[in-house]
Amino acid sequence: MSEFWNPYAALAGRQRRLLGVAAVAALLLLWSLLAASGLVSATKLPAPWDVLAALAYLSWHEGQSMLLTATLWSVGRLLVAGALVIAIGIPVGIAMGAAPRVNAVLSPLVDPFRSAPVVALLPILVMWLGIGETMKIVFLFIGAVVYLIPMVRDAIQAVPQSYWIGARDLGATPWECVQRAVIPMAMPRIADAVIVGFSVMWTYITVAEYVNARQGLGQLIQNARRFSAWDQVFAGIMVIIALALATYQFMVWLKRRLYPWETEQ
Amino acid sequence: MSVAQPQAAIAAPAAQPLSVVLEDIVQEYPLPGGGCTRVIDRVSLRFDQPGINMLLGPSGCGKSTLLHMLGGVRPLGVVSPSGGRVLIDGVECQGPHDDAVMVFQRYANRPDLTVFDNVAFPFRLRLWRERVAEAEWRQRVEDILKAVGLSDKRGLRPAQLSGGQNQRVALARALVLRPRILLMDEPFGALDAQTRDEMQRLLIELHRSWPCLVVFVTHDVTEALVLGDRVIVLGTQPARVADDFQISEPRPRSPAWQRARDTLALEERILDQLHQASPGKGQIRVTV
Repeated sequence: MSEFWNPYAALAGRQRRLLGVAAVAALLLLWSLLAASGLVSATKLPAPWDVLAALAYLSWHEGQSMLLTATLWSVGRLLVAGALVIAIGIPVGIAMGAAPRVNAVLSPLVDPFRSAPVVALLPILVMWLGIGETMKIVFLFIGAVVYLIPMVRDAIQAVPQSYWIGARDLGATPWECVQRAVIPMAMPRIADAVIVGFSVMWTYITVAEYVNARQGLGQLIQNARRFSAWDQVFAGIMVIIALALATYQFMVWLKRRLYPWETEQ
Repeated sequence: MSVAQPQAAIAAPAAQPLSVVLEDIVQEYPLPGGGCTRVIDRVSLRFDQPGINMLLGPSGCGKSTLLHMLGGVRPLGVVSPSGGRVLIDGVECQGPHDDAVMVFQRYANRPDLTVFDNVAFPFRLRLWRERVAEAEWRQRVEDILKAVGLSDKRGLRPAQLSGGQNQRVALARALVLRPRILLMDEPFGALDAQTRDEMQRLLIELHRSWPCLVVFVTHDVTEALVLGDRVIVLGTQPARVADDFQISEPRPRSPAWQRARDTLALEERILDQLHQASPGKGQIRVTV
């Protein structure tokens, strides 16, 4: 048995999983007890079994799956916005990290948005872009890219200068140093930035889909709320959490596959 | 099937005349409170023979700065050198020079690349890609890996290697370019004594098959005596040439030679010079 207070003692995988499962089970138990006791009305806190039933209903009802359709729409928007975040955010972040002049110009334009209320931009985006898909994609894009760009820049600047000097000494041009030495060394942290970007987009997806949503998980939740179907609201939220977690786990796994050397250091 | 001999692994450098000159080098750094401090004071050196030249001085005396000037790697934000000129083959050297390759103390091996790709790294750069055909550089990488004894480690990454093996990779990456000038900045300083011995022997072997001009910075008097054809002793704060002599004893130099009276006298002389030039400043090491 390792010491309780010791940040460096790694728990055995089994013990760690056991404790995690126990915590989730405890929360579910508390929730069940609260719901069963009648202390909290079912209109305020639907019981876990009601949420489960709602989940089943949404998954399959009268030959169609509302949940699957909604999920596909949300995932589709997320992927389009994510592709834009990667295609635009990473090159901009790299340019800022690797060229001080680019950073000097762009950082006053980008950095303040990290603490800006992105949600408050939504009405402005609606005014500019209307209520269609473009607005939703752009909203998700902005929400994620303002985090990603500074993270990519920091990833570039965190690469030890020795790699740059080493490449330079071997005859690399400054751009070749960036391209062949700095960027490859920054890739694990850039991957972290992408992972954060996708997490951020999952948190914003419901907001993006609140406005004039015809499809999507946000719309599904919004619709259920309108009819006070709180069990469905809870079910929708849980599906989003599950998808966000799955995305995260998949991307972390992918990152380890792509950059196994990072953890060898 | 033929087995390549280590000697055949790297061909001898073309017998071109070589001249590396440091002319009245002065280096000053600005002080935080204003004014500036002079770390190198009018150092003039001339190298025109292939051989191992040791720049010996206490830590922090500016010998690495001198070496970096030869390699054309200049510190950021400071004019370097503040005065004087570096001439390679009579041409003033202002940036990284194609003929000069550095090996750093902190081996700049890329953790994401295998041993093979680390050694082949220069050939990913346009400069070398245009000069050396792929078939040739692949053969060169194979040969140099064999010469440094890493053929069986070609697929491993640096984290899977020991410190000495990592320094072999760095040395191989420098020599695969067949440089006329090899600049070594305390390359074995971070290694344990036994590994350092091995690496010194490897360097002697490699230099025999590729007799280029080596300028080797160290603060280890023993290392200077074991490796050097020529030993240049630098004083400190600011660095000046305190002594400059040749050692004609052929390498590898036996432990008996290292303990011989003449050698010990030489060592005594170096230590005296260092103490006169830099009383009580900096660190030097004697490992006999």
